Amino acid sequence: MSAAPDSGYEVVIGLEVHAQLRTASKLFSPAPVTYGAPPNHSVHPICLALPGVLPVLNRRAVDLAIRAGLATHGEVRRHSVFARKNYFYPDLPKGYQISQYEEPVIVGGWLDIDVEEGGEPRTLRVRLTRIHMEEDAGKSIHDPAIAGDGTQVDLNRAGVPLLEIVSEPDLRSPAEAVAYLRTLRRVLRYIDASDADMERGHFRCDVNVSLRPRGSGALGTRTEIKNLNSFRSVEGALRAEIARQTGILEDGGDVVQATMAFDPDSGRTRVLRLKENADDYRYFPDPDLVPLVLSEEQIEAVSASLPELADARCARYQADYGLSESDARALTASRALAEFFEAAVKASATRDPAKPIANWILRDVQRVLKERELEIEDTALAPASLAALVDEVEAGRTTARSASGLVAELVERGGDPVAWIRERGLEAVSDAGALEAAVEAVILEHAADVERVRAGEQKVLNFLMGQVMKRTGGKANPQVVRQLLAARIGVP
Amino acid sequence: MSGIARDEVRRIVALARLSMDDAELDRMQRDLAAILDYVETLDAVDTSGVEPTSHVIPLATPQRDDVPEPPMDPDLAVANAPEVSGSAFVVPKVISGEEEG
Amino acid sequence: MEALLSLAAARTALDEGGLTSAELVRASLERAQALEPALHAFVRMRGEAALREAQEADARRNRGEPRSLLDGVPVAVKDNLVRSGETTTCASRILDDFVSPYDATAISRLAASGAIVVGATNLDEFAMGSSTENSVFGPTRNPWDRSRTPGGSSGGSAAAVAAGIVPIAFGSDTGGSIRQPASFCGVVGVKPTYGRVSRWGLVAYASSLDQIGVFAHSATDAAAALERICGHDPRDSTSLPEPAPQLMSALTGDVSGLVIGLPREYFDAAGAEPGVLEAVRAAVAELEAAGAKLREVSLPHTPFAVAAYYLIATAEASSNLARYDGVRYGHRAAGATSLKDLYLRTRSEGFGAEVKRRIVLGTYVLSAGYYDAYYRKAQQVRTLLRRDFEQAFAACDVIATPTCPEVAFALGARADDPVRMYLGDVYTVSANLAGLPGVSLPCGRHEGLPVGLQLLAPILDEATLLRVADAYQRRTTHHLARPELA
Repeated sequence: MSAAPDSGYEVVIGLEVHAQLRTASKLFSPAPVTYGAPPNHSVHPICLALPGVLPVLNRRAVDLAIRAGLATHGEVRRHSVFARKNYFYPDLPKGYQISQYEEPVIVGGWLDIDVEEGGEPRTLRVRLTRIHMEEDAGKSIHDPAIAGDGTQVDLNRAGVPLLEIVSEPDLRSPAEAVAYLRTLRRVLRYIDASDADMERGHFRCDVNVSLRPRGSGALGTRTEIKNLNSFRSVEGALRAEIARQTGILEDGGDVVQATMAFDPDSGRTRVLRLKENADDYRYFPDPDLVPLVLSEEQIEAVSASLPELADARCARYQADYGLSESDARALTASRALAEFFEAAVKASATRDPAKPIANWILRDVQRVLKERELEIEDTALAPASLAALVDEVEAGRTTARSASGLVAELVERGGDPVAWIRERGLEAVSDAGALEAAVEAVILEHAADVERVRAGEQKVLNFLMGQVMKRTGGKANPQVVRQLLAARIGVP
Repeated sequence: MSGIARDEVRRIVALARLSMDDAELDRMQRDLAAILDYVETLDAVDTSGVEPTSHVIPLATPQRDDVPEPPMDPDLAVANAPEVSGSAFVVPKVISGEEEG
Repeated sequence: MEALLSLAAARTALDEGGLTSAELVRASLERAQALEPALHAFVRMRGEAALREAQEADARRNRGEPRSLLDGVPVAVKDNLVRSGETTTCASRILDDFVSPYDATAISRLAASGAIVVGATNLDEFAMGSSTENSVFGPTRNPWDRSRTPGGSSGGSAAAVAAGIVPIAFGSDTGGSIRQPASFCGVVGVKPTYGRVSRWGLVAYASSLDQIGVFAHSATDAAAALERICGHDPRDSTSLPEPAPQLMSALTGDVSGLVIGLPREYFDAAGAEPGVLEAVRAAVAELEAAGAKLREVSLPHTPFAVAAYYLIATAEASSNLARYDGVRYGHRAAGATSLKDLYLRTRSEGFGAEVKRRIVLGTYVLSAGYYDAYYRKAQQVRTLLRRDFEQAFAACDVIATPTCPEVAFALGARADDPVRMYLGDVYTVSANLAGLPGVSLPCGRHEGLPVGLQLLAPILDEATLLRVADAYQRRTTHHLARPELA
């Protein structure tokens, strides 16, 4: 949906994400990166901007930035520059942020995203403008319950390394925006650059949105909504702002450039700050740092350390496991999913388990994950548990239908599926004697079909099997049922 | 370009988070004009194609290992602070929108 | 007291003369106190701590374990070098009670050498100035004539050495702040190559220009002191990878065949007082007599150096001083009702007029619309100045010039004339812009006041620089002259 289909306006969206890099210490200070520490318990003189301190760059942050560039097909610039962005705010202790401005470390690149809108899945390539490193600011606490009638400042977070990832305005709807963010998050986790945990504020999104008449090549005036930290709020903010801008334009007005705030309760956006004058940040190259010149050695070392990227893994799954291209792509979309798959395959006792396990993951498990908006790594489901479940089905000790009913619970709280099958009486009934009655009943009821089977219509045998399964509440061992039916009917 | 408009001086002074009364602004405007006048001599230099110096002596980029050091004693961290609450710094309440610039 | 005038004399007195470090330090403290009303070279003394450290030095010497040539010798440091547990003010109200929790690298290296810091010296606020008149504590006076300035911004350190309070003092030089006061006070002042001495713990003025250096009466003493503080520091990303240089062993006294370049732009009669040029010309003639060759060279972009310097230095300073906001340390305006009010009043109350002037100029220079015309242009001119030196050094080994166009001026003489004040830096700023090492040595007097000879060498060549300075001092006695004081 890009505005109301008949509104005559096309929506143009660009996204800026700030992702916290997975380092042990800060970007320019050796203070530890922590979470939840009391105020100013994780600082160093550099974090406090004491007189006389100087910044020293963290190599791991650089390596992770290079990884991000490689994983998004960007150009890793051999020469990039750290620049000071000057402004005053209590959580910015130096009175400037060390960032990158005219010469970022990564330029260009793209991400292919899968969008499902209106039930129609499609793939879209979203171009990236740039990726660069910068320091995070500290935290200002305005809550009167904590800060009384003042504001408290905690610099634990000041100086933590961030990656800023800027997309081109290639997105055309809130659904595309969310799909892009999911993909980006997966990629960052894939390469261990960031845990991209939105609840902890390690993956913050700024959206830029404007409208233009359909068919126009020019960009409309855009507004910005900052620091959205859930996909729901991204979607809600975009819908609200699109509605607001549409209303203005349809009334013949002009959209004014501004920074907006989104109120999830009312579902509306409002102007936070007008941007009539461009902020004067007085960017200049930081004279306390030398330009970042990357050696071929460093880039190659990072490249070699990169976990097998999605494309290569996808090809390998087709070659080694015989999976179809679409199944391989689906499994390798997320590193966690791919690793889960491989671990389950390894843990399985079935011969050639790859295809059945792939099927179980892509159908039953993915369905539950999607319903609950979870990624596999956020669940309690263990690869060995899934493998055990699949093994039970493949060995005929339970039926696919019974097993399917356990998946949601395994995802939610983990567990031992083999034990559950026993405890809940989900074992497939394999005892021929127990099944004979059901087989007889079905043959009697479907005499005409029995004749068709005798006449050579194999497929109808499956139908009869289904009927037996139904009669036994899905617990009959399908192989045994088939044997009994075939024997009874008198076909091989 | 000689001289600098009074409004411009005010804008820059505010950008630098300084406040000045009229007498000070007068002086600042005068001093700045004199300095900028003097600095205009640079216009005479032909710098086409000349790279700006970013660092006088080219150095390989120092990068440090990602090994954290123990943090500062929080009491020491706020020891110089004019106003604290527990281990947090305290400032007057920030009005939203005051950020930046 | 002779032992307070030279390292050699101090060493002899301590090692052979039966003088203890405690006695030496006490003598230094007493002299500082006696001369304080006349000179006001110091902002703060660290008497108790210094005496305690002196006793430790005495114990080491008695055990036969001195740490270096400076062990047990009193020194002074400019009050913009932070010292753990002690107040550092930068002569500014905005830092008037700031106690640093860490030591500057130069300070910890001095402590490791056994040198004893007797006190912190006066300076122009945040090292911005050329006369030490911009100090919140009031000006330091020139020991040679107390109605005159000692120069700046390291005026306190220069005066402390000139007045025989300490044989060695440390300062910082961004546009000449060691060399010019050395020239005005008749002492040796050395600014090493940019990046030689770690800036970790030096309160920043202009990051790409600042460098810590030393005052002494002789090149040999300066060499001994520099060896202790130079060398790579991983805490400073602009620190050169080289370890501390061997300087003392380079002082052979031999300059035969050495080529001394004389840049014509620095010897323009219209640009300097005649007495100054005369003394400097006599000095280079002395070196020629010692076997050096003189050659005229040219540094054609010299007329643009001061302008480029002030654009770059103030731009960097405006950003470096943004941290002084009353939130985490330093002065805070009372009763601020809003954040904006806090910032405006704290900074306006806390900074002096010269600092504000430079912050405003620097903010302007970086501001949108002006960056290319000013800051970027100045950095391009800087590149041209560096090239000038590269070309000149292809034809000579060191460059000799006057340090300043004049001798010490009267207190208050430049109060209303910032541009005139800035122009006094014309001979010194180029070395900072190009990152070169430079020294000023006394080479005579004009109207009773000291004149300085400046030598500049290529990057990392402090050895040649000091060799020439030492050779000159072996053949002359200007560096032995002392001002008349109580």
